Amino acid sequence: MNPFLDFRSVPCEQKEIPLDRIVRAKDKVMDHIVEGYLRLVEEEAKDLVWLVEHSRVVKAYNSAVETIRDIPFDQDDIEEFCAEMDASDKIPYMISGPAGIYVSALVNHAQEDHIVLKLKDYRRTFHFFGYRLPEGKTLILEGNSGDFIGAGLAGGRLVVKGSTGNWCGAGMTRGEILVIGYTGQNTGEWMRGGEIHVDGRIRGLGKRFFGGRIYQQGRLVAPDEPSRSI
Amino acid sequence: MSDLDRILRELWPEVRKRHLFPELPAPTCAEGEQRVGLDMKKKRISISREFVEEMSRQLKPAEVLEGLLDHALSHYLYCPWDFSTHLKLYGEAKRVLKDKEMARTATDYFMDVVADTYCISQKDTPLPKIYKNLNRSNLDKAVHALCQRIWGLDLGVAGFEEISRKLSRIPYMDRSRWKENIRRFSKAVRTLLETEKERDPNSSDRKGPIDSHEFHQYSVQEIEQGLKELAAETATPSEFKEIVEDFEKELSEATGPAGRGMGLGAGQSVDADILYYMKLAENYLLAIRKRPVQKSGALYPHRHVPWEVGRPFRDIDPWTSFGKIMPGITQSWERLEGDVFGREEGIPDCIAIIDSSGSMTDPKRHLSHAVLGAACACDAYLRNDARVAVYNFSDAYSGGQQILPYSRNRKDIYRTLCHYFGGGTQLLVENIQGLQTERVPDIFLITDMQITNLEALIQYFNESKNRITAVHIGDNKRVQTFRRSMAVRKNVSIYPVDKKEDILRIVLGKIWEYIYSGRS
Amino acid sequence: MGMDKNGILRETVREIYEYISENLYFNRPDLEIKGERFNAGLLMGLLTGLSQGKELIIGEPGLGKTTSAEYVCSLLYQFPLGTIWGSEVSGHPEQTEEKIIGRPDLGRLNQGEEVVVWSHFTLLPVKIVDEINRLPETKQSMILDGVDRGNWAYLNDAIINREYCLFATANYEDRGTNTIIAPLIDRFDVMVESKHPSANLAYLIGMKDSNGAALRHEALESEFQLVLTERMPYSARMEQIEGLCARFGQDLEKAAGIRTLSSADRETIRTQKGRIPLDLDSNAFLRLVLSELSFCYRLGQKRSHETCHEGCHFTEYYCNRVRNCISNRFPTSARVFSQALAWLLGDETVDVEHLKAVLPFVLAHRVQWKEDALAQREKEPRSDPLQIYMAKEAVKEMHRRYMEQGPQVKKALAVACRIMEGEAMEPVRGDHPLYWEIRRDLGEEVVE
Repeated sequence: MNPFLDFRSVPCEQKEIPLDRIVRAKDKVMDHIVEGYLRLVEEEAKDLVWLVEHSRVVKAYNSAVETIRDIPFDQDDIEEFCAEMDASDKIPYMISGPAGIYVSALVNHAQEDHIVLKLKDYRRTFHFFGYRLPEGKTLILEGNSGDFIGAGLAGGRLVVKGSTGNWCGAGMTRGEILVIGYTGQNTGEWMRGGEIHVDGRIRGLGKRFFGGRIYQQGRLVAPDEPSRSI
Repeated sequence: MSDLDRILRELWPEVRKRHLFPELPAPTCAEGEQRVGLDMKKKRISISREFVEEMSRQLKPAEVLEGLLDHALSHYLYCPWDFSTHLKLYGEAKRVLKDKEMARTATDYFMDVVADTYCISQKDTPLPKIYKNLNRSNLDKAVHALCQRIWGLDLGVAGFEEISRKLSRIPYMDRSRWKENIRRFSKAVRTLLETEKERDPNSSDRKGPIDSHEFHQYSVQEIEQGLKELAAETATPSEFKEIVEDFEKELSEATGPAGRGMGLGAGQSVDADILYYMKLAENYLLAIRKRPVQKSGALYPHRHVPWEVGRPFRDIDPWTSFGKIMPGITQSWERLEGDVFGREEGIPDCIAIIDSSGSMTDPKRHLSHAVLGAACACDAYLRNDARVAVYNFSDAYSGGQQILPYSRNRKDIYRTLCHYFGGGTQLLVENIQGLQTERVPDIFLITDMQITNLEALIQYFNESKNRITAVHIGDNKRVQTFRRSMAVRKNVSIYPVDKKEDILRIVLGKIWEYIYSGRS
Repeated sequence: MGMDKNGILRETVREIYEYISENLYFNRPDLEIKGERFNAGLLMGLLTGLSQGKELIIGEPGLGKTTSAEYVCSLLYQFPLGTIWGSEVSGHPEQTEEKIIGRPDLGRLNQGEEVVVWSHFTLLPVKIVDEINRLPETKQSMILDGVDRGNWAYLNDAIINREYCLFATANYEDRGTNTIIAPLIDRFDVMVESKHPSANLAYLIGMKDSNGAALRHEALESEFQLVLTERMPYSARMEQIEGLCARFGQDLEKAAGIRTLSSADRETIRTQKGRIPLDLDSNAFLRLVLSELSFCYRLGQKRSHETCHEGCHFTEYYCNRVRNCISNRFPTSARVFSQALAWLLGDETVDVEHLKAVLPFVLAHRVQWKEDALAQREKEPRSDPLQIYMAKEAVKEMHRRYMEQGPQVKKALAVACRIMEGEAMEPVRGDHPLYWEIRRDLGEEVVE
C-alpha cells in the first residue's frame, strides 16, 4: 500500500536559483579544504601537539601543498576557511601552526595575485601567515596576527595592517613585509634578503642576521645595529 | 473606491492563496511616504499610494501591488518570522558592527534579501521589476547586485562585483545558520555602511527601499514572547540589556499601554536588568493550581448493574426492574462515593530572602541563578494570587538591605530581587519578623551561608512555624552548623547546590510540593 | 442532482444559518473564512447536523448550549421543537438504560413476551444529551457507542438508525460533575463553546420573547407523539415520521418563510460533500499536523503514560507539548467537517483555509497538554476557553510552519511516492517530524 499516491503528480525537482548552485559549489570546496586541513593535522600533529622546528614546518607546508593541489578554491574560500577556523564549529581542533601553514599554502597557490584577509574581528591569533609567499603575490592582513608572519618570504609582498607577534620575517629570502603596527621579538631572525618596514615599535631584532634590511619608521635599523630593542 | 483599492481588493485573495492563506487582515492603501512602499502595523499591511503611483510610471499598478504584497508576506512567513528572530539577528549584527544604526540597517537589508530570495525561489513574483525601477542608494545598489547574482535576474545594476561575489556565498535560505550569515553579511557591507553614515551622519531614519521593518508590525504578545526567548538565549544580562536599550523607544511605541507591565512606556526608562529576569523567569512557569477534588463522604447511586441470584435485595431498584425479581430483568444500584470540589485553601504568601553580598553573583553583570530561582518562586506565588515580600540583604547593620513589604507588583518585586549590594553578609532577623503575618507565610532563603550572624538566623528559624526552604551554594562549616541546628525541624528543608544552575530546579520542585502536590 | 440542485441546497442551509442567527440564537461572529464571518458554535452545529457528526458544546449555564442544538436540529431535520424536547436525555447520575434506550412493554412482559418500547431518543435521528458530563461513564459510553454505529440494542431487539447526529452539552467543572474520560471524549467530532453574546445582544435576548415559538407546532407534535409511541415496526414508523417531517417543513415555509431539508436533501448533501477532494496542500498540511501530534523519535510514537526524553531535538514541535497520541478519529473528523465547510462555501476542493477553520474544534478536546505548555498560555489574553484557545494557537503555529515548508513537504511526499514505486531515489531529509515519519514509512530505521 502506497500512502503517498496522491503526490505522484508533484514534481520532484524544485525550482533552483543561482544561489543554490553557488552555495552548493562553495560548500563542496569548503568541505575539501577542511578535510585537507584535518588530514594535515592528523599527520603532522600527533596528539594535537606541534612543535615549531624548521624541518617540521617545511614538511607540513609540502603536505599542505600536496593536499590542496586538486581543490578549485579562490580567495573567498581562503577567507571563509579562516572564519571557519575562528568559529571552530565545523573544525574540531584548530592548531595555530599547521593552520597558518595550510592557509599560506592556499594563498600561495591561489589564482589571484592580490589577496586580502580580514582578521580584525577574529578571536584567535593565526601564525605563519605569508609563509613562503612567492614573487608576484601580495597578501594583505587586516588586523593583528601571531608569530612567524612572513617567515620564509620568497619574493612576495606582505602588508600587515596591525601588529605581529615574534619571529616576523624569520628566514625570509626576498620580498617585502610592511607592518603598520609593531612587531615582537626576534624580528628578522635568519633573514637572508628582502626588506621589513615597521611603522611602530620593534620589540626585538633577531640575533642571527644574514642579509636583507629592516627599517623602522623609515630609518634603517638592521643590519647596522643588531640585537637591539628599539 | 479608487482604482488602487479595487485592484488591491481583487488581488489579495489570489496572493493570499499563493502564500497558503496567511492569517493577516486584508491590506489597505494609505497615504504614506513615497520612499517606503509599505508598512505593517499589527499585522495589517498598508501600502503607500504615492509609492505605487510613482512606480506605476514604469510598471502596471497591479504588478507593483502584487510585488509589494509578496514582499510583505515573505517577511511574515519566512524572515524574520517573529520578533525574537528579529532581535537575535540585530544582536549578531551589532556584535560585528558595534554601532546601533549600522546594525539596524544591516539587519533590515539582510532580512530583505532573505525574504525576497525565499519569495523568488518559491513563487512567480513581479518583485524583481520593482527593484529594477527603484531609486537606489549605493548600499541599495550593492544589495541589488547581490540579488542579481543569486536570483539570476537583471535588476539593472552594474558594478559592485567584489562585494556581490562575497555576499553571494552566504547560504541565506539556511535558517539554522542565520546568525552566522548575518555576521558575515554585516562584515562584508561594513565599509558601505560606514560610507553611508559619513555621507549622512544625521539620518537615524535609514529605511530600506521598500519597507521600514518597524516594531509595530508585531503584536504585544509577540514582543513579550520575543523578549522571553531573547532572555533565555543571551548568555548574560548585559547582552540582553544592550539590545533592549537600543530599541527602548521603538518597544515603548509598539507595546503602548500594555508595555507598562514590562516597564516600557512613555515616561519610564526601561530597566533592562529587571526585564531580563522577568522574561527569563517566564520560561519556567508553573501551571496555576487547580481546584482540589475530594471525596464527599457519602455514597450516591452511580449506575445499575444486573442483579444475580444470591446478591442482596437491599439495593434493587424496583422501578427499573419493573416490579420483577428475576435474572436478566432485575437491576440493582451500585453506589459510589461522590467526588466534589473541596474548599479552596488559599496559597500562603511568600517571603523571599536573598543574599546579595560580595560572594554572590552580581545579577546585572552575569546571570544570577539565585535571583532567577527567587524570581521563579515569586512568580509561582503571584500566579496563584498570593503576595510576595522580599528581603534582600548584604551587610544589613550598615544599611545594606532592602525590604519590600507584601506586594503583587511584579516590577517592584523584581527590582528588589535584582538589587546588588556586594558588601558583607549580615541580616537583621527583626526585619524578617516584621514581615510575618497571621496567615503564616512560606519562606525561601537563597544564600551561600557565609552569614556573619548565622546564630541569630538559626535561633529565629528554630522558633518559627513557617515552611522554610533554604538553598545554599557550596559547603562549609557554617553550612554544617546550620544543618545540625535545623536537623529536627520538620518545617525546614535545606538544599545544597554544587552548580548554581540547580537552584532553579530545587526551588521549582519545592513550590510544586507546597502548592501543587496532593491536589488533582 | 446537478449544479442547480446543489446550489439550492446550499442556499437553503445558508438561509437556515441566517434565520437562526438573526432570530433565535444571537451571538457574535467569531470566525472568518474566505472573507465571510460566522459564529463558530452555530456553524459547527450546522456542519455536525449535515455530516452525521457528534458535537460537544461547552459553556456556562444558560448561554444557549442546548437551545442552539435544538434549533439546528429542528430546521435541518424538520422536527418541531416540542418533539425534540421530548427526545432529549438529560444528564444526571440516576439516568438508566431504560430511560435512554428503551424499556420492556410491561403489558406484554406480564404475558411473558419481551417486546421493546424504544425511547424517542433512539428513534429520532437527532439526539441531544444535556450535560453529558453528569452521566456516569457507563451511560456516556452507551450513548456514544450507539451513535457511533447508529445501532441500539435492548433485550433481544435492535434498531439501526438510518441517519443520526448527536449534540451533547457540558458545563464547566462544578460540584457534582464527572469528567468525560479521554476514550469517550475522543469520539466527539468537534467541541465548541457557546459564548456569552455580549451585553448588547444579551439585552436584546432579554427583551424578546423567545422566537422558538416559530418552530413549535402543537398539532404535529401530538401526531409525532402518537407515531413515536405506537407499536409498529421501525421502518414503518420512520416512513410515517418522514411524512410528518415533510408537513412540518411545508408549514414552516408558509408561516416563517424558511426552507428546511428533507432526508433526501440531506442524503444528497452528504453525497456531494463526500466527493469534494482535498487539494494537495491541505492533504500535506493535515499530514504535517498528524505527525506533530503523534511522533516520537525515541519511543516510536507518543504515549500518554510515557514522558519526553530530556534533551530531545524536537522541542520546537507539538510532540513535545502534548502528552497523548492523536487518535485516528481525528483525521476522519477533520476531513468530514472540512468537506462540509467547503460544500457550504461552494468550493470545489478542500483547501488549507477550510482545514484551518475546522481543525481547532476537531482538535481541542483530543489533546492532553503538558503542564508547562498550559502554564505558558493560560494567562494570555483570549476569547476562548483554554482548550480551544490552545488548539487554535497550535493550528496557527503548525500552519505557519507549513506555509514556510509547504513546497519542501510536498516534494518529500512526491519523492516517497516514487520510492515506493521502485525508483531509486533518496528520501528528502528535513527537521520536521513528518520527514522522519516518511522515512519510517519507507522502511528506514531512523535513529538520530
